[in-house]
Amino acid sequence: MEFNNKRIKLGNGIYLNLIQTSKFKSNLLSYYFVRPLKREEVTKNSLVPLVLKRGTEALNTSIQIEKEFEEMYGANYSSAVNKRGERHIIRFTAEWANGEYLNNSELNFKVIDLLRSVIYNPYLEDGVFKKDYVNQEKENHRVRIESKINDKRSYAVNRCIEEMCKYEDFSIYPLGYVEDIDSIDEKNLYEQYIDLLNTSQIEIFYVGNYDDKIESHLISSNKIERENVAEIPRENVVVSVKQKNMINEKLDVNQGKIVIGYRTGIPFEDKLYNGLLIANDILGGGPNSKLFKNVREAESLAYYVSSTIIKYKSIMLVDGGIEFANYHKTVDIINKQLGLLKEGIFTDDDIEISKKSIKTSTESIGDSIFLISEFFLSQIIAKDKRSLEEMISDFNQVTREDIIKAASNITIDTIYFMNSSN
Amino acid sequence: MNTIVNDRINEKILYHELDSGLKIYFMPKPGFVKKYAVFTTNYGSIDNVFVPIGESDPIEVPEGIAHFLEHKLFEEEEANIFDKFSKLGAYVNASTSFNQTSYLFYTTDYFYDCLELLIKFVQSPYLTDENVEKEKGIIAQEIRMYEDNPKWRVFFNCLKAMYINHPIKIDIAGTVESINTITKELLYKSYNTFYHPSNMVLFVVGDLSFDEIIETVKKSEKIYEKTDFTVERIFEEEPKQISQKIIEEKMYVSTPLFYIGFKDYDLGLEGKESIKKDIVTNMILDMLFTPSSEFFNDLYNEGLIDSNFGAYYTGKKTYGHSLIVGQSEVPEKVHQRVVDLFSQNPADILIDDDFERLKKKNLGSFLMGFNSIEFIANNFTDLYFDKFNLLDYLDVLESISFEDLLNRFKEHFTPDNIVLSIVRPS
Repeated sequence: MEFNNKRIKLGNGIYLNLIQTSKFKSNLLSYYFVRPLKREEVTKNSLVPLVLKRGTEALNTSIQIEKEFEEMYGANYSSAVNKRGERHIIRFTAEWANGEYLNNSELNFKVIDLLRSVIYNPYLEDGVFKKDYVNQEKENHRVRIESKINDKRSYAVNRCIEEMCKYEDFSIYPLGYVEDIDSIDEKNLYEQYIDLLNTSQIEIFYVGNYDDKIESHLISSNKIERENVAEIPRENVVVSVKQKNMINEKLDVNQGKIVIGYRTGIPFEDKLYNGLLIANDILGGGPNSKLFKNVREAESLAYYVSSTIIKYKSIMLVDGGIEFANYHKTVDIINKQLGLLKEGIFTDDDIEISKKSIKTSTESIGDSIFLISEFFLSQIIAKDKRSLEEMISDFNQVTREDIIKAASNITIDTIYFMNSSN
Repeated sequence: MNTIVNDRINEKILYHELDSGLKIYFMPKPGFVKKYAVFTTNYGSIDNVFVPIGESDPIEVPEGIAHFLEHKLFEEEEANIFDKFSKLGAYVNASTSFNQTSYLFYTTDYFYDCLELLIKFVQSPYLTDENVEKEKGIIAQEIRMYEDNPKWRVFFNCLKAMYINHPIKIDIAGTVESINTITKELLYKSYNTFYHPSNMVLFVVGDLSFDEIIETVKKSEKIYEKTDFTVERIFEEEPKQISQKIIEEKMYVSTPLFYIGFKDYDLGLEGKESIKKDIVTNMILDMLFTPSSEFFNDLYNEGLIDSNFGAYYTGKKTYGHSLIVGQSEVPEKVHQRVVDLFSQNPADILIDDDFERLKKKNLGSFLMGFNSIEFIANNFTDLYFDKFNLLDYLDVLESISFEDLLNRFKEHFTPDNIVLSIVRPS
């Protein structure tokens, strides 16, 4: 399926992306602010959405904003902060029921304007954010950052990346750092916010049904004159491993969590990258993968074990949850399975299965209003002009030799193990 | 073949019953690429005391057996079922809840081949002493994973505090000790009792042909005698009281997590009555505990709660509870404020304007749900065994009056049926 999409430049580094579809019972509008991932601003950037949600010029409190969204047939507002490679991405989204089903043709405009005012017209006192709002949200933000230890699996993955990429910006935690919160106040946070508006790459997405009126409204309300936007350099892809790391962290837990980080050295722009994705899928993609079959099914060592590729850094991560005592046994099996992959000991069926699995998940993007916008954003960031069909067709070109060649580049860098403190 | 149409949301559901007693429901979704099928049995973790088919006395089975069986049905004599689905490019999975076990797949191609596989693997268990033994290590790791999940622990402890006899307080996966007592024979006994087509439902959603779906199931299914047999499930009388007011556990977390639970005593409902109670209770909770409420904002501004705060009601025929969930440095204070809130007169705190607004919100949310084939399939199936059709939801929503909320408030939220579960940093 091809999307019917338009990309319109609204200012320096500001683009409106319109994707016309009548498949859904809702419409979606997202703003993505794309920044370099930098320690000095990451904590402030992730605090900004929390403060913006507290009040707008017209609606001074969050309760008023909430009621307004509810009034619009429960329009879903959400914001999120994450990293893609060494980019810090701040997202604001509204998704709302399609007015056609509600006999309400004004609904689209109302939601569009409300989302815009949350982002661009915050409630201010003395020309800066309201002090109380900032102080309360600083406290909430502190708790949010500290909460990362609650989810042991993602904590372990994050710790592995932190250790492995110590000397790269990619190690930065996207929500920021507790020790950087104290120095934030209503004034310097507001300055950072203004900087976000002025210097970020801004990608706006509208997915759903729209007509000329909506299009011109989106264009006129988002046109901004501003200076040039800072280019974000392409991440450095580390090719060779200088020193292997082993981190053994002791915590009060019931299950060991192992995360192994590998360098692949194959940039996503490289033709061989598709071979790497298939190699990764054969190794630890789904329930048909080598790790699932050997670590889980054959040896009963784990309930979950899988591998993933981090696109912008060309890193592969394997993670699983195991009994503490089975650490060596598990590492041996993972090493052995990766070794077999490098030697080309896998079947043509394995290749076909991976290609089909990637095809199914790629095609499925078109069934989710949110994933459609995320897909277009990825393509813009990666400067990749291919459609979903072209991507699938490129996967189908991958040969056995490509997979072996890609796998031969996978080099172990860091092993993180969450061990028992008892 | 029969059709249920809802013109307002422009959706329809077709259904057909086979000679075996299996009912098939299908929602066409033209233009969607994904196709989804879910094959569900009305058998979950709470069905742990029952009269096995062909016997006359009830037995009590080990905790976690329904979930164990879910794992084992993926086992085949020749090949692993995962392989077969993978070769067709399909994603297959399963899940066990308190009330149901579901086997599902989604795919973009070869749908009918996958459907044939789904029916066949669920209807042909292959259990050996060896493969039952092998699964114990895997499920033990799944249990360990949940033991380290504070959100799961604080939730289950809350159920433990509320329920005295009801098996809902038992972890769905059981314990490492209980699964070690599971045998091939017990699994077959459970399987033969609960996996008869008359106790199951198949729901399909996607851009497909219903005739072909029916034909595929007909040629794939095993031959079953049509039966009037209904499983006799035995639930010990649950007293109208809670088990303990407060339950606490220490874990490796950053901030205390809490669940405040209100146990429901208005049970035994089915169909529209049951759904109505569900919507009414959830509307009260939305009115009081979402970010658009005064109560939420008061606590938020005082620093007692953060944005990780919410409430919902969930219930079935034999159990039900409202849960208020969040994290706080001082969970006891939040608990006290909730107690104080519910000691007031409902007419003073429930507001008519809010009621109208929340109706609009529910309408919009329900509409948006139909974007997701997973939402449709999971909700349809969940409500099906409560004898309710998902497409009738809006009619029930509109039949609700403000008066209904006032009455439910007085009856369900009392000082006597409230519990507090806390997980604190160790």
